[in-house]
Amino acid sequence: MSDGAEAQASLEAVLKDEIVRMYQEVADNPTGTFHFFHGHEAAELFGYAPDWLERAPASAVASFAGVGNPHERSDLQPGETVLDLGSGAGLDAIIASWRVGAKGKVIGVDLNPSMCLKVQALAAEAGGRMECQVGRMEDIPVPTASVDVVISNGVINLSFRKRRVIEEIFRVLRPGGRISITDIVSAKQLSQSIINDPKLWAS
Amino acid sequence: MFRLLEETGFTRIRSAVVPRFRFRKESTQNSAEAYGVKAVMMTALKPRGDIEPAEAT
Repeated sequence: MSDGAEAQASLEAVLKDEIVRMYQEVADNPTGTFHFFHGHEAAELFGYAPDWLERAPASAVASFAGVGNPHERSDLQPGETVLDLGSGAGLDAIIASWRVGAKGKVIGVDLNPSMCLKVQALAAEAGGRMECQVGRMEDIPVPTASVDVVISNGVINLSFRKRRVIEEIFRVLRPGGRISITDIVSAKQLSQSIINDPKLWAS
Repeated sequence: MFRLLEETGFTRIRSAVVPRFRFRKESTQNSAEAYGVKAVMMTALKPRGDIEPAEAT
């Protein structure tokens, strides 16, 4: 591995730890203050239906840390298989499970094993059904051409290898499948100091 | 990201700005604005006739 590739791999490892740490903090301390809006306030800001927020488990809503509402254009249908990339505390996956119903399937993928366990329990509590796989968006632990829809909310921007992530999303989708994602984009190249600071990158 | 979706083989790519996105901390929001950072919603379709994804770089 070249020096540059080693440095990037090292930074990615640090970034991964910072991402897990930060979003675990949101889950453990939902009344805390972060760089971003989160919880019920953020979900309302992004147009999540009030009855969804009322019906979902309080901890899933309180730990919501998305940047928009991928359900606005996901058009999920009963019986579909949905992948929620970076499922986190689970609000989007739980809503997806309601929309695809008992004949559908929701798969969450997250870096954090404890978050995966939690979200499966929360989905069951909310009357839905989902499975969560621990893994990276750069190597999605889902079979090729097995998913009808990929949703994601504020996650892909956290990767240094966005092309790889998009290729993985393409791989897991069935032909005719679709995506509905919300994410952060930048009009200008970020400075190296931001790229090299995992805390800034992760926020 | 639009370009990445296109190069990978997605079609019918649509995007729209999330109008009410902003950072909570004012200093972070100011920095974000300086870099033109915003939240967008994107939808796209994988064609029914499969296309080989572009080589990873």
